[in-house]
Amino acid sequence: MNTEWSFMVYATFALGAAAVYFLLPHTGRSTKTAGHVLGVAALAATMVLCASKFLGTEGANIFFYLSAVVAVGSAVKVITHEKPVYSALYFVLTVLAITPLLILQEAEFLAVALVIIYAGAILVTYVFVIMLSQQGGQPMHDRQSREPFLAVFGGFVTMAAIAGQMAALPEEKGIVGDFAVAAATTAINDRGVDNTSLVGTAMMTEYVVAFEVAGVLLLIAMVGAIAMSKKRVPAETALTPMPVPGKVGREVEPF
Amino acid sequence: MVELLKDQFWFSALMTVGIVVALLTAQAYSIYFERKISAWIQDRIGPNRVGPLGLLQPLADGGKFLLKEDIIPANVDKPLFLLAPMIAFGVAMIGFAVLPWGGNVDLDADGAVDVAAQVADPGIGLLYILGIGSLSVYGVVLGGWANNNKYAFFAAMRSTAQMLSYEIPMGMAIVVVVITAGTLRLEDIVLSQIGDGHVWNIVLHPFAFFILLVTLFAETNRTPFDLAEAEQELVGGYHTEYGALKFGMFFLGEYAHMITGSGFIVVLFLGGWHLPGVPGLQPGDVSVGAMLLKITVMAGKIAAFMFLFMWVRWTLPRFRFDQLMRLSWQGLLPISMALAGYATVLVYLGKSTSIPWALGGNIVLLALTLVISQLRQTPVTGRQTNMPAISLTSPAKAR
Repeated sequence: MNTEWSFMVYATFALGAAAVYFLLPHTGRSTKTAGHVLGVAALAATMVLCASKFLGTEGANIFFYLSAVVAVGSAVKVITHEKPVYSALYFVLTVLAITPLLILQEAEFLAVALVIIYAGAILVTYVFVIMLSQQGGQPMHDRQSREPFLAVFGGFVTMAAIAGQMAALPEEKGIVGDFAVAAATTAINDRGVDNTSLVGTAMMTEYVVAFEVAGVLLLIAMVGAIAMSKKRVPAETALTPMPVPGKVGREVEPF
Repeated sequence: MVELLKDQFWFSALMTVGIVVALLTAQAYSIYFERKISAWIQDRIGPNRVGPLGLLQPLADGGKFLLKEDIIPANVDKPLFLLAPMIAFGVAMIGFAVLPWGGNVDLDADGAVDVAAQVADPGIGLLYILGIGSLSVYGVVLGGWANNNKYAFFAAMRSTAQMLSYEIPMGMAIVVVVITAGTLRLEDIVLSQIGDGHVWNIVLHPFAFFILLVTLFAETNRTPFDLAEAEQELVGGYHTEYGALKFGMFFLGEYAHMITGSGFIVVLFLGGWHLPGVPGLQPGDVSVGAMLLKITVMAGKIAAFMFLFMWVRWTLPRFRFDQLMRLSWQGLLPISMALAGYATVLVYLGKSTSIPWALGGNIVLLALTLVISQLRQTPVTGRQTNMPAISLTSPAKAR
């Protein structure tokens, strides 16, 4: 059973790899339709495989399937879309689609932190930089991917190696996020200890050194970024006031 | 019916429907009140043609938005052009899901609490609102970029920089409340401000309250922080090319954002549905009538903040962009970090709910800020010292 199951996983991943290969931008005849058909087939097959081994189809699992499909689909779009702005936005969608999965795993703090930090701050700046740098038409490197076969093959091998390990997992059908659903639908009197306080306690006791080191590292990175981006102004021009009308910033005429 | 509602799921569903309906009405009427208040401040009459006192004006506006020609300009990025107003509106709406409206409720009066008058009460309620708020920047960015207009894109650029900058002092001001209350669950934050020896957080940390208020103005793109729609400089702002209902969605989204922000600040600093000493508004009051009273009080507090938003909009002029940035990075950020640090010290000393300690610290910090800003001679906002003096006489008189 396990060997068969692994081979079925490999087969679906090969299907998905083929779909990605067809979807990647290239010159010549468009193979988008074939890519889409293959991709939908691969996704459906993966979901059926998941359903047959680990998950049933009842209850909160619906959320798992929905967000998993959206996450995988938009992740593929991130690398296959021809317009960089859309790629970045699909990345945002991937992040947003992963949050329900984390909430189903009772990691709600991680889920919201992901949204605030990734979708809310980092990706906005990505989107922004891409928007600023891509004003004209599409350059060649966006319309044709470099080494699509090698890239797809490498991705397939990595993913299949990870997914193959799923065969070793015990075969029991449960509902993902049983707890989360129960917590959301029962009266608020019987709350348990929530995930956030556990994360906080662990961070401040067991992993406090790592936590502090990460903070210092980020601070160093920030100081470094500021130091690198700071323009060097000769001392005399920086000190003497130059009230020139029409100059934006410090030298601007107020009225 | 009552049996069904005793299940939190169905009660939440009912609350969702009620809140969405109330919210859409409130947004429409916020626009009406915005116009009335602006008229009042500028000594005009305001809308008075449609219905008694102009009360049907929002309906007329809505009809106009619906029936106007829906123009999509050539050369826009069509999918994103259509997506942007949806994001702006949708994101502003879903933030409401976690606001605590009425505490616990005992629906059948048998002495046992059945449900919470709240759509959802996740352990991360506060972070949820922050996360949703941080997504709202996409509506502005995409709206500004997709319509292929340089002015609009410039507005989006300003707005993004502003929102990202003001999110940081906002987070720090919120950290003060989180440290004082010791929880991220909004209902628990309300409860932590109630009872013997507990006061509303605004009494303990007025400075943090003020910083949160200022950053909320910036996050909602309201005057004096409305550089995203500075019509004198940018034609119209990031929604220049939008017309009909798509513009209406941006417009309503702004008001929804304001209402969420007001609810947020009410919950964090003004005790949510609680009024001290008033029977029916205490945590122990769980009857249906008390719930309705609590919802009314909460809505009233939110309405008061909405009035403040409008009052400020029609009173203060807009910041210049460099003033805006300096205010956030050199002014609000160090102060809010100091406040957050002070809150942790209070927790360490076990004085986090003691009024003299918390309030005294806030006053000392305020005094320190004033002294330092005086000594540095570089005001966080306003004119630079190396500028020529302003002549207060008008140019005509000077000649």
